[in-house]
Amino acid sequence: MPRYVMVIDSSRCINCKTCVAACQQENRVPYGYARNWIKVGAGATSPGLHFQPGNCMHCDEPICVSACPTGATFKDPADGVVKVNTALCIGCGSCIATCPYGARFRNPELGVADKCDYCPRLRALGREPACVAVCPTRARRFGDLDDPASGLRALIDKGPVVRLTAPATDTKPAIFYLGRTSPTDWPKDVTPPLPIGLWGAIMAPLTRVVGGAVLLGVAGVALRQLVAGRGEGQREGHGKAS
Amino acid sequence: MEKRPDMIRRHSAGAIFMHWFNAGCWIALLATGLGLIDNPELQPLGMWWVRTLHALGLDGVLLLQVHATLGLVWASVYAVFSLVRLKSETWPFLREVGTFSPQSDLTWVLRKTLTLTVGEERLRAKGLATELPAQGFYNAGQKLFAVPAVLGSAGLVATGLIALFSRAWPGGADVVQWALAIHFLCAALVAVGLVVHVYMATIAPGEGPAFRSMFTGFVPEDFARHHNPLWHERVAAGRDETLAKRDKRSI
Ligand code: HEM
Repeated sequence: MPRYVMVIDSSRCINCKTCVAACQQENRVPYGYARNWIKVGAGATSPGLHFQPGNCMHCDEPICVSACPTGATFKDPADGVVKVNTALCIGCGSCIATCPYGARFRNPELGVADKCDYCPRLRALGREPACVAVCPTRARRFGDLDDPASGLRALIDKGPVVRLTAPATDTKPAIFYLGRTSPTDWPKDVTPPLPIGLWGAIMAPLTRVVGGAVLLGVAGVALRQLVAGRGEGQREGHGKAS
Repeated sequence: MEKRPDMIRRHSAGAIFMHWFNAGCWIALLATGLGLIDNPELQPLGMWWVRTLHALGLDGVLLLQVHATLGLVWASVYAVFSLVRLKSETWPFLREVGTFSPQSDLTWVLRKTLTLTVGEERLRAKGLATELPAQGFYNAGQKLFAVPAVLGSAGLVATGLIALFSRAWPGGADVVQWALAIHFLCAALVAVGLVVHVYMATIAPGEGPAFRSMFTGFVPEDFARHHNPLWHERVAAGRDETLAKRDKRSI
């Protein structure tokens, strides 16, 4: 099974933004929105400016997935791509708030989460994602990490590579930056939105404990009743109501 | 020939229909709603439930459609019934289940719980009272379930509507997230109470006539006299605001 990753040599990027435009066009991204970006860093490898292309990191431990109540966002075990099932997405925005990379946005036309999905239409045709295909300097490389023919494993092994992570949150991003890249301080530590956090930390466990106890209690009472025999119940209504 | 017991009207046909319509919808909504929580951290029942539904061909998208449609149908039918029967059913029911007499109700719940768990004989042997305070149309336990059932259902409808229109929701995403969490909380509250409700209605000793009344509409007068003496007093005196006075009959 393929494991798609992106390897980016940011020192090659010339900030032409063709990748951004090609993505918008291929994926019909609403005007004013984008699924990918180019960040401007300090001179990391060369004097002057350094540009850093990026998009969803398709993390191996995606916290956007753990923030999604319905499983609409998921990491596809078939290809390692983090996807959004728009028919199942209820637009709660938890994943958007929980991405350390800000790689998601609410599609204003559909009202659901939107993000990079490595251009499934093009891949089905045997082509590369739009941003990779159009890059004039080949700063972006895409392929199956486990396929030697892709050459990506060799590139990564030659190193050095950087995986951008937030200070305290390593979601195991699947984009590898070759050499030194800049900027590196932009991924943010995130926590799920408060209601979803409370649901996971308190409401669900509490329901399990209380529900379990009540079920056990009722089963116990029913069992006791079975053993003690079916009585006609208590005498009622002889006391005074107060 | 033995005389058949006098039967008195306890539930109207409409109320009976609504109760079973509600029960069916509730159980289906609970099953599909739980199936929609495809996230191990948020799923209280366990992911086996989600996997089971998926294996039965009910994938997430289908569950969402069924849940949302059924929820809308349930809430709409309820809204219409409650409004049409506002004076004859809704209001008397709400007043009945919402009126508590704390001391007597607490005594009833405590003694009933102890009797069911410890047993009447053992309580008596310990010199503890087992007699239950006189109850009205609904006993304290029923009221204690009915109040969260009503409030929880109202909360479910309100938050469910927000979730239904979440994609078009103009406000912040946090409103939708809170709506989902509260939706879960309301469902959990009622579901836990439901376990006790169904036990008390079907298996608990001495509740048979009340159970049958949810089908036939009638309880034996003698049963009402013993289980719901305060209600029976009102019926006997012709002061009952419910259907009973109109429908006293022998069958
Ligand atoms: C298979 C499931 C159920 C059974 C067997 C059942 C049975 C009954 C019976 C027999 C009564 C009448 C009690 C009496 O006349 O004294 C009743 C009342 C009631 N039921 Fe259910 N029921 C079920 C499900 C539900 C569900 C799902 C709900 C709501 C979430 C519900 C809410 C109520 C309420 C509010 C009352 C009136 C007051 C009370 O007993 O608390 N029931 N039920």
